[in-house]
Amino acid sequence: MFADIPWTVIVLQLFFGLALGSIYVLLASGMSIIFGLLGVVNFAHGTFAMLGAYAVFIAISLSGNFFVGIVSAIIIVAVIGAVTEFFLLKPLYVKKDELLPLLLTFGLSVAVPDFMKIVFGLIGKPVSYPESLSGAMLVGPFIFPNYRLFIIIFTLAILTFLWLFLKKSDLGMIIRAATQESEMVQMLGVNVSRIWTIGFSIGVGLAALAGAVAAPMMSATPDMGVEMTMVAFVVTVVGGLGSLGGAIVGGLFIGLVVAVAAFIAGEYANVSMYFCMAVILLVRPRGLFGEIGRE
Amino acid sequence: MGNQNGLLTCKGGEPAPRPTIVAGTVAFLLFLPLAISVPLATEILIWTIFGLGFNILLGYTGVLSFGHAAYFGLGAYAAGLAFRYWHASVLTGIALGIIGPMLLACFIGALAIRRRGVYFAMISLAFGQMLYFMALSPLKHITRGEDGLTHIPVMTFFSISLNKPLYLYYFIFVITAVMLFLTWRFLQSPFGKLLQAFRENEERAKACGYNTTLIKFFSLVVSAFYAGLAGALNTVYLGYVPLTTLFWLTSGTMVMMTILGGRGTFLGPLVGAGVFLFLQNTISLFTPRWELIVGSIFVVIILLFPAGIMGTIQEKVAAFRMARQKT
Amino acid sequence: MFLHTENIAIHFGGLKAVDGVDFELKEGRLKSIIGPNGAGKTTLFNLIAGVYTPTYGKVFFKGADITALPLHKVSRMGITKTYQINHIFPSLTVFENLRIAAQSGVTTFNFWRTTASYREVNERATSVLEQVELKEKRNWLASTLSHGERRYLEIGIALATRPQVLLLDEPTAGMSVAETNLCAELIRKLNKSLKLSIVLVEHDMSVVMEISDDILVLNEGRKLAEGTPQQVSDNEEVQNVYLGGE
Repeated sequence: MFADIPWTVIVLQLFFGLALGSIYVLLASGMSIIFGLLGVVNFAHGTFAMLGAYAVFIAISLSGNFFVGIVSAIIIVAVIGAVTEFFLLKPLYVKKDELLPLLLTFGLSVAVPDFMKIVFGLIGKPVSYPESLSGAMLVGPFIFPNYRLFIIIFTLAILTFLWLFLKKSDLGMIIRAATQESEMVQMLGVNVSRIWTIGFSIGVGLAALAGAVAAPMMSATPDMGVEMTMVAFVVTVVGGLGSLGGAIVGGLFIGLVVAVAAFIAGEYANVSMYFCMAVILLVRPRGLFGEIGRE
Repeated sequence: MGNQNGLLTCKGGEPAPRPTIVAGTVAFLLFLPLAISVPLATEILIWTIFGLGFNILLGYTGVLSFGHAAYFGLGAYAAGLAFRYWHASVLTGIALGIIGPMLLACFIGALAIRRRGVYFAMISLAFGQMLYFMALSPLKHITRGEDGLTHIPVMTFFSISLNKPLYLYYFIFVITAVMLFLTWRFLQSPFGKLLQAFRENEERAKACGYNTTLIKFFSLVVSAFYAGLAGALNTVYLGYVPLTTLFWLTSGTMVMMTILGGRGTFLGPLVGAGVFLFLQNTISLFTPRWELIVGSIFVVIILLFPAGIMGTIQEKVAAFRMARQKT
Repeated sequence: MFLHTENIAIHFGGLKAVDGVDFELKEGRLKSIIGPNGAGKTTLFNLIAGVYTPTYGKVFFKGADITALPLHKVSRMGITKTYQINHIFPSLTVFENLRIAAQSGVTTFNFWRTTASYREVNERATSVLEQVELKEKRNWLASTLSHGERRYLEIGIALATRPQVLLLDEPTAGMSVAETNLCAELIRKLNKSLKLSIVLVEHDMSVVMEISDDILVLNEGRKLAEGTPQQVSDNEEVQNVYLGGE
């Protein structure tokens, strides 16, 4: 059966998988940073991605430029994230119950989409592909849609930037230290509380980026957040809780799995990633890159 | 426990209330249809049963599952399929609706119960979604996908037709009363007492020789019993099985009700179900955006009153007694 | 041999917290583990209790290899530990705290009978209540106890599991001088009257010298000296590293 499928089609599916996986990587990296730094599982992660999609819609409506839209979306949602962390999550840290922040973000994931329905209506808002990225590129026998190519390259750029930031900048070093030993960092006089806010903003900023970049493909709808949170969860389990490398590898892997599943057996597309998660739990519970003890 | 040393014997978070409270609750439920609409009352009963089990897992054992819709939904579908295709009796259908979820809980528990709190919450949610998507698409020929499982015959229980809302209510009422009693006994049993110690200090329970993984596993399976029962009853009540029984919002609703009512309290499930459903019903009269209001209330509860209604009441009562004893 | 370790070690990354220690406890004896901060006392303690799995080496109890057993199984075998920071059940009463511990090994997964109906469990809890001198506070909530009383409850919870070996982790931590002396008396009584074998990790040297039969001195994860209190206090190396400067 598989011999009948031209290999060009297979390669194309893998390519789609990479593009999808790139979005997943952005989502999962954000969640990984938030969990690693704050110890909070952000149930509303997909909700912030959804806000990113709407933000890019608004920004494009106002500015007409897609790239300006993306940048604005990240900034807007990062600010919303900072406000959320500061007023809603911070009061919970002192209570030493790691379920409370998760429950709070869950509450947000229920309330906020409904709010968006009031403001923007029930039907989604379409976001059009930017002119420069529409169409496709012909490479030998392959036809690669430009926009997906953009997603892959853009994600690579973001990840590189993130890596440089974490490895080389002062703030990045503090964030890395605070992820490992927040008490130690506190004793060195660093305002850990502010670091947490910044970390949360970065995390949801990445989610917003995922949502914004995905918007032309799926439209901005109020309920798109739920599935994105699920994806982030699954990738996190597969890649390893709190591991950025795991988020990247896991995200790409799951993206490929879903794309291939969609192609081979369409109705199993959604379920496929959960199967993967179940298998990982059986075979290597801490995830591909997870540390023992974290889970 | 008596009144020796006054304030110092009053319990902050008692696991099992006095018999009078249990009896009073049953009496309250007996007369509930006089006060509110029968459908609403029936839903409260069903979600109370669901909640009693969920509360054992979350409130007493301290394990948060975000995928309990899997058990509720599986119970609903199992019963529905039995009723429709095998013309099973009410009790048989309910029994199947209980066994299925319990087996599922054994499976999920074996895979994941060892994991730490937030991790298990994520995994349970993902499993719940997996079941939902399985029912939506690949298993569509069995579950009828989005349409839900319809054409379920009218149930009779010993020649009493359960088609009449009030008969149905009292049928479920009897089951609820039995479950309340069993839960009450459960909380007084060695296992129930152990759970209370467990949520206070799991590490120490381990040091005393308790296999904490096994304990969590048991709690999960027990909670699946209740969830499956509630799901099966839901099928009897609705006369069909909507796909939403497997949806994550069903899981989320159970979480919200439990926190709202007060986790780790005996009356929490009932209070949580009652208040939540009442709110949902009332708000829906004015706007379909009840999720916004309920979600926001939930956020406020987490921030200000994490012990929920019953939990906060118990705290206040205990504090009041302490203050009075001191003077 | 009763309870002993063979060349036990645990490495946390590059840190060799315990680096090849042969520890032996004879039945019925009270042995203390002492050493400067970071010497590995509590780590060795936790290796024996089953909290950590060693990087290499073994633990034997009455001839059986218990190295790989987790905490709760080690407790079931008869070795129960206490904690340096109080690990009690705050919103249960003192009696219930003890009863939960006494219940372990007798019944766990019974859903129907009431706990009050298990006579031997209740009796066990009552007798431990007396042993740790908390009889008057039987119905008090554990959270309302003073620090010293909580340390006693801490020991009581471990006692109620009917151990053959009691592992005590700094039981006198945070106690006043008077309380410390009383606690030492209690521990000595547990050892001598109840014939409990005890491993004691302690910082308070007066307690250690007073009640120990044997002492093991650790430094940087390795055995520095071992012997009776007299032998250890006479040991020059020990004096330099640990007691020296006092």
